[in-house]
Amino acid sequence: MDIIKKDRLISAGIDVDGVLERFMGNESLLERMLKKFVSDGNYARLLTAVEQKDPEEALRASHTLKGLCGNLSMTALLPLFTRQVELFRAGDPEGAYGLLPEITTAYLRVIEAINSLTA
Amino acid sequence: MEQAINAYVDPQTLLVVDDDEINRSILNNLFANQYTVEEAENGKIGLEYIMAAPEKYSAVLLDVIMPEMDGLEVLVHLQNAGLLKTIPVFLITAETSDDVMREAYRMGVMDVILKPVVPYIVSRRVNSVVELFRARRRLSSQVLKQQSELLKQAEQIIHLNQGMIEALSTAIEFRSEESGDHVRRIHDITRHLLAHTEWGAGLDTYSIDQIALASITHDVGKIAIPDAILNKPGRLTPEEFEVMKTHTTQGAQLLGKIPHLRENGAYHYARDIALHHHERWDGRGYPDGLKGDEISPWAQIVSLADVYDALSCKRVYKDAFPREKVLEMIRDGACGVFNPKLLNAFFSVENELARLYQPK
Repeated sequence: MDIIKKDRLISAGIDVDGVLERFMGNESLLERMLKKFVSDGNYARLLTAVEQKDPEEALRASHTLKGLCGNLSMTALLPLFTRQVELFRAGDPEGAYGLLPEITTAYLRVIEAINSLTA
Repeated sequence: MEQAINAYVDPQTLLVVDDDEINRSILNNLFANQYTVEEAENGKIGLEYIMAAPEKYSAVLLDVIMPEMDGLEVLVHLQNAGLLKTIPVFLITAETSDDVMREAYRMGVMDVILKPVVPYIVSRRVNSVVELFRARRRLSSQVLKQQSELLKQAEQIIHLNQGMIEALSTAIEFRSEESGDHVRRIHDITRHLLAHTEWGAGLDTYSIDQIALASITHDVGKIAIPDAILNKPGRLTPEEFEVMKTHTTQGAQLLGKIPHLRENGAYHYARDIALHHHERWDGRGYPDGLKGDEISPWAQIVSLADVYDALSCKRVYKDAFPREKVLEMIRDGACGVFNPKLLNAFFSVENELARLYQPK
């Protein structure tokens, strides 16, 4: 992976070295999985659930996203989803919904960085 | 058992059960150069894979929260099928809650590995356990193999023993100008009476085989009888008959002089049979004039088998008698008196014994 692409991912909040270790240095597999993250439907599901005030559905989506971010070493996004899941589980859906703007900002930066890989 | 040993191959497949494709890919990628990796996207499919061919899996990596069937439910099914003892199962989970972990360990998972996985930790933990299971299986299959080899060797020794005893007895038969078939038939008749009438009651197969083997040497003492008497075509003089009778005591002595034989389980049967196979129920046999139940059941059986065979075949001093005549002579005590109970047992299976004398 060239330095420019790598830097973009790092500045979008992805621990590239960490995630490459998890993928045993397999860069093409990592890129494929990053693209899967882009096309994954759970972020959209989270938005809809928050809009419809459905904390159970929102928790499911947030929990799945947390898992994805963990596996992909998205160090900016991961603590946000972790916090959101905790708030849902603590019975504070409003607090959890309140994290959405921050999550969205970090999420879009990651998506943009991943999309630029193929550009 | 042997087939199971030969068919044994180390399982080489690792099954990853997780609904998260990224996680499956990471684990697949991590283990792909050491195992054949299979993926299942939920617990139900994973369980189907395992149940279809449990022997091929070296380990199962199992997610907890999955649609269709979750990881803990898969564990319950594996436990019920007794498979957790043979296939190591690792729980791969983001849930660090005490409840899940405790429940998982209680049900028999090998280890709980946290997501997101750290490659060197996962591969070290999984490989150590897989290696442990392989070593354990190899060891037990080796023990089985050695056991079956030992059994085979013991069997060969028994065969060799029997072969040598038969060779010795047949050599004696040949000396008295009879065919070696006599000892074979005595063995078969003795065995048949023990295995198929109440005369074998209380004896296990091993003892029956030992007695049948021991019957073979009943005439071994004839080796000490001079040819002139042994092969005399006509009637023996009283003096000659006295010499002939000593084949019983000589046989017992001879058997007692072979130290290896004395250690053999068949020895005390063989000695008793050689010594007493000419005793008769009414006490008018030889050498000791034993009477009734003083004669051991096996000596009684071999006496009758010996008479039956002698009458049924041509001997140097007589022709073969027809079957009807043979049975009549035995019933009438023409060759000495036998235990009536033994005669009953004998007549009840004589039809099958007669087949030994049909030309092949």
